[in-house]
Amino acid sequence: MDRKVEPRVPLLSVFAAFFVIGATAFGGGSAGWIHREIVLRRHWIGDGEFLATLALGQALPGANGIKTAALIGDRLHGAAGAATAVFAMLAGPFAIIVALGAAYARIGELPVLHTVLDGIAAAAIGLTFATGLRGLAHGAPGPAGLAVAAVTVLCVGILRWPMLPVVLVLAPVSVALALRQRRS
Amino acid sequence: MRAPAGDTLLALAAVFVPLSLLSFGGSNAVIADIAHQSIAQGWVGERDFADFFALARAAPGPGSMLAALIGWQAAGLTGALLATLSLYLPAAVLVWAAARLWGRWRGSRWHAAVERGLAPIAAGLLLSGGIAVLRLSPGGPAVWVAAFAAGAILLRWPGLHPVPLMFACGALFAVAGTLVH
Repeated sequence: MDRKVEPRVPLLSVFAAFFVIGATAFGGGSAGWIHREIVLRRHWIGDGEFLATLALGQALPGANGIKTAALIGDRLHGAAGAATAVFAMLAGPFAIIVALGAAYARIGELPVLHTVLDGIAAAAIGLTFATGLRGLAHGAPGPAGLAVAAVTVLCVGILRWPMLPVVLVLAPVSVALALRQRRS
Repeated sequence: MRAPAGDTLLALAAVFVPLSLLSFGGSNAVIADIAHQSIAQGWVGERDFADFFALARAAPGPGSMLAALIGWQAAGLTGALLATLSLYLPAAVLVWAAARLWGRWRGSRWHAAVERGLAPIAAGLLLSGGIAVLRLSPGGPAVWVAAFAAGAILLRWPGLHPVPLMFACGALFAVAGTLVH
């Protein structure tokens, strides 16, 4: 790949942009927020470059927003840009969650707080289900993909087996199935 | 709160670093494992875990930022920092390094197969995370009903912003809870 890693955007601007994204990305859909700030508003990279970056990130582990920040930071200012983007992206949410945790420690005895948090959690679990099902519909069509997803849910979600061995066994099987499917 | 003993810090890193490298499909995929392990380690109880999950989802940033709260509970501010960095940095470094190698494979059979092969596992892990949190939630059947309803609403209307839905659901629970008592 023809990589251009000459610094294009000053580190301070990289930090400022990703700090704002991190501190305002409610609901976990960080990729959408990154697209809006970096591509649409600041024009630092194009749509094609952004999508290629996202696709690569999908094949690898990591929080979606954080790994997208690492990859785009790398394009903007090389290794230093990647590190800056990742720390900027984490700084805001970390400070906010610690502050919320401290508040929770003080008023955690209020019964109504638990009730409200149960409601928020229920909607958040619904979001997780919707995201998983949508990902299944778009990313894993065909019986093989559905079977792999079902086995994953059975082992990790229902039988509560530890994830590491399950993924280590299923990943090669699933990639082999995808390879075969592609060849035929 | 206990003093941040070296043992606890090591244990936090030992739990979160592997999970970082395993979080295919996003860090929410490992929430099931975060729940099982942090409760087994005695860092949080089920009530706290359910509340932390809700707090992290209501705040900006990744929902897996609840790792910071678990680290805080286990070993104070040092624990919070360590858990956060352990959960996010290893994967970020791996992805960054892989990006420099992976580019030359783009368009190859392997590239597509790896993406297609990992997609259903990622989806399965996401669903498992939802199930794990539901089973832990002390809120009872109301939480199950509300979770499935919210999921159906978000599937039906994908453009709907999830955050107002979360706060609406929280308010609904508060009102219903007050009426019941």
